[in-house]
Amino acid sequence: MRRKRLVFAVVAILLSTLAARGQSTFAPKVSGPLSQRVVAYQIDARYEPDKHTVDATETLTYHNLTGRALDRFPFHLYLNAFQPKSTWVHVAHRDGSFRTSSFEEGWDPKHSGSNDVTSLEAVGMGDLTKQMKFVSPDDGNPDDKTVMEVALPRSVEPGQDVTFKIKFRATFPEVVARTGYKRAFLLAGQWFPKVGVWWNGAWNCHQFHAMTEFFADFGTYDVKITLPKNYVIGATGVQTSDTDNGNGTKTVAFHAEDVHDFAWTADPNFKVLDSEFDGSVGAVKVRLLTYDSHKSSWQRYLDVMQGTMKHFDDWYGPYPYAQITVVDPPHGAFEAGGMEYPTFITGATVWWAPKGQKELPEVATEHEFGHQYWYGMVATNEFENAWLDEGINSYTEVKVMASLYGKNTDVLNWLGAQMGDAAEQRLSYIRVAETDSLSQPSYQDMSIGSYGGVTYGKTATMLLTLEAVVGEQTLQKALRTYFMKYRFTHPTQEDFLRTVNEVAGQDLGWYWQQAVYGTQVLDYKVRRADSTRVDWPNKDAPEEKKGETLYQTDVLLQRLGDFIFPVVAEVKFDDGETIRETWDGQDRWKRFVYRKKAKVLSVEIDPDHQLTMDRDYLNNSIATEPQRGATQKIATYWTFLTQFCAQMLGWLT
Amino acid sequence: MADDNRGLVAAGAVLVWRRQRVLWWVFAVNLVLGLLGAAGARSELGRVLQHSLAGNGLTRGFDFGMFLELVNQPTVNLMRSAGGSFLFAALFPLFMIFVTGGILAVYREDRRFTAGDFFAASGAFFWRFVRVALFSLIPFGILGFGLWAVNKLSDYIGDRSVSAQTGFYILLPSAILVTLLVLFVRLWFDIAQVRAVVQDEHVMWRNLWKALGITRRNVMTLFRVYLCISGVAWVTLAAGLFLWAKLPPTATPVTFLLLEFIILMQLLTRLWQRASAVTWYKRHAAVFPSDAVDYTIAAPAELVESVAASPDQVPASRSDTPAPSAEPEAPAEQ
Repeated sequence: MRRKRLVFAVVAILLSTLAARGQSTFAPKVSGPLSQRVVAYQIDARYEPDKHTVDATETLTYHNLTGRALDRFPFHLYLNAFQPKSTWVHVAHRDGSFRTSSFEEGWDPKHSGSNDVTSLEAVGMGDLTKQMKFVSPDDGNPDDKTVMEVALPRSVEPGQDVTFKIKFRATFPEVVARTGYKRAFLLAGQWFPKVGVWWNGAWNCHQFHAMTEFFADFGTYDVKITLPKNYVIGATGVQTSDTDNGNGTKTVAFHAEDVHDFAWTADPNFKVLDSEFDGSVGAVKVRLLTYDSHKSSWQRYLDVMQGTMKHFDDWYGPYPYAQITVVDPPHGAFEAGGMEYPTFITGATVWWAPKGQKELPEVATEHEFGHQYWYGMVATNEFENAWLDEGINSYTEVKVMASLYGKNTDVLNWLGAQMGDAAEQRLSYIRVAETDSLSQPSYQDMSIGSYGGVTYGKTATMLLTLEAVVGEQTLQKALRTYFMKYRFTHPTQEDFLRTVNEVAGQDLGWYWQQAVYGTQVLDYKVRRADSTRVDWPNKDAPEEKKGETLYQTDVLLQRLGDFIFPVVAEVKFDDGETIRETWDGQDRWKRFVYRKKAKVLSVEIDPDHQLTMDRDYLNNSIATEPQRGATQKIATYWTFLTQFCAQMLGWLT
Repeated sequence: MADDNRGLVAAGAVLVWRRQRVLWWVFAVNLVLGLLGAAGARSELGRVLQHSLAGNGLTRGFDFGMFLELVNQPTVNLMRSAGGSFLFAALFPLFMIFVTGGILAVYREDRRFTAGDFFAASGAFFWRFVRVALFSLIPFGILGFGLWAVNKLSDYIGDRSVSAQTGFYILLPSAILVTLLVLFVRLWFDIAQVRAVVQDEHVMWRNLWKALGITRRNVMTLFRVYLCISGVAWVTLAAGLFLWAKLPPTATPVTFLLLEFIILMQLLTRLWQRASAVTWYKRHAAVFPSDAVDYTIAAPAELVESVAASPDQVPASRSDTPAPSAEPEAPAEQ
């Protein structure tokens, strides 16, 4: 009987291995490898839902393609960020909150998490457990244990491999900062020891920071997860087997290639909705893991995924993987929402979300899918140049959302109120316009708030403004070129800027110096616009008559900010004539003078509303006739709300 | 007695209609406070938008991004105006406490008051109603705490439930229940105010105690009336907002009229409730003759109680008036 079971198990393993090899991780018309595969991870993990822990054995093979001998290796142990004295907690507490978690009432032990490495061996070099030490390369915090380094007894020569065997336990916090559990739900992100990246001649392995995200090498992942058999599981890559262990558990295996991280999720209450996107490189499976109580959002998720994938395929390049898994976190697990991992994203919704607001789930889902391109495939260093991922992705989010749901209605179109994604990005930027440049290391930004406004808002706004110089289509072409050229290569910001210059056919250094490397603020103002009778000194001049009286019109434009940008001003006269003037914006002011038998009606800088970087829209125009509409409308609502509040209070007396 | 309860809602409505000057005055004060409350915002907006094209998006639609920009621009102190608006809003309940005595006196006597009569009646009951309002903080506070507790409980249970709607399904009936209880408390305190005016009661804690007994004994009748009128208020509010959402964005004058109609209906229904309460009280309690209470001079409490207790003390000139009793008779519940 025992022998029969053994034979059965061997056959099952063989079959699952064959199945794994037969299951491509790529779309039908794609064949790998797509990247320089530096790492190969094999992880065998067992999840204990009651304890929220994973005990695992990790085998990591590192291919030394650095061109030099390596004798020490740093590893990320990011679950250790969830300890009260870590750098992440310090910054989150300093700035009041992180994402949706507040630390104003002190540290809550339920947010504790850890990565405990119980043994580490380098094959052929022996047990190195005692060689492990925590390092804090960014801030020297001795209590931060998010980076561990191990020194090898001998170097790994260029072109050679080294294999690490690591045993570890991951303890998850209640969901916080993109990872953790909520009830039976688990989002396992940053859960395993992950080696740093050899980049620009040095190890690049930053601590876990509150502001920035991640950076890792491309490679392959073979991960087996054992968990109770009633759980539904989803992960990076494709599922290759699902084995019932006969003891109330099952082991599910996943395989992924040309990705740089691996995340997974599990919940017995997940509902699985599979659909397909037919892209330029063949069909891609879109797997949505959601809940019955989010039924009102199911179609919205599927629709925005179809629309987004189509636009990215058309505009920027193909999605080469066989599957994208979209996780809809349960209520109360917002911290798990809006996150990207390779071929695996989390959206966010609420069951009562009106269709007129598109933040949830549409914007969140679109944004996270966009990361598959900029974070997942281009894979820039998010610690140091987060804007190359988050920012460019925010720009493409604006473009895709506008195309799908309307330029001025793609965030809000409800009860008569409208708002566009571009306006939202701009608002987040203008609040922190002078704080941080895009080019500085993102984890060193002034605050979590300034990081958000600059990295997301400023980049999107700066690229939208750039459209005024190079044109929308050129910028789209530049992004496509950048994506196709640099995918799977970890490019730098200079690579991006150079690509745009090349595609645009012009040196945009003047723009990059201000918008990327500087903190200059763009603010142009119409200072004066008025018409005076030319014959004003003549006391006997005839009565003013439209179309006959000659006027001198003075228009004065002013540059208030230190950002220099060419602007267009539109001057309208009461005879119907409209003149567009251009000004290079170099000097502090510019005057335009007209002699016409017409009076000026209005002057507006940036009449096409392209300069979204302009911090103050209110001073961009002057109308000679009073413009009372907006004031009256808001005052009407304001009056009503005051009255309503008054009568409610009066009701109580 | 059951017949006495017929047409209470209609009778209250007719009374409000007949004495509509009260409604218009209350509405006018509410409107003036609203306009004053919005004056700061209007001034700030006028300053920056008067000669700018930036507000066009707000005129043609409601460009929420531009509105947020106005809120966020340091040169526009829009949010500072919000504090001032709330202060003006908070003046309205003080005004209502002041005029409630006058309003109830008008409804009680169902005749046109001169301004002097009205304010004399208002002044005569002002401090009593201040005390009533302070007493009302206790039950309203308890109910507020109850709602807070239920909210916490629904969060707690909802947080442990797989279904995203569980918390809501706990909170919704609880909120409805609390709303009904709030309505009951409002009814109780309204009856107390009516009783204070009709019987010139001075001792408010005793008045409230007796009003609670009256309200409790007649809860079905009175609560039905209040609920019915509240229903009208809620329906008109919902219908008004529905219509508002359908209006073209450029129709600001029409929007203003519609929103003011909503406010008018809210105030009307409130006065309707009070008029119905007075009508009910008059039907079930012998009422002092209108000139038996000198609103300008506070009568000692003992006298009121002794008058109320003894029919012999009713002034001879008004001997045709039914002898007053201390409390309204309890009508048979239907």
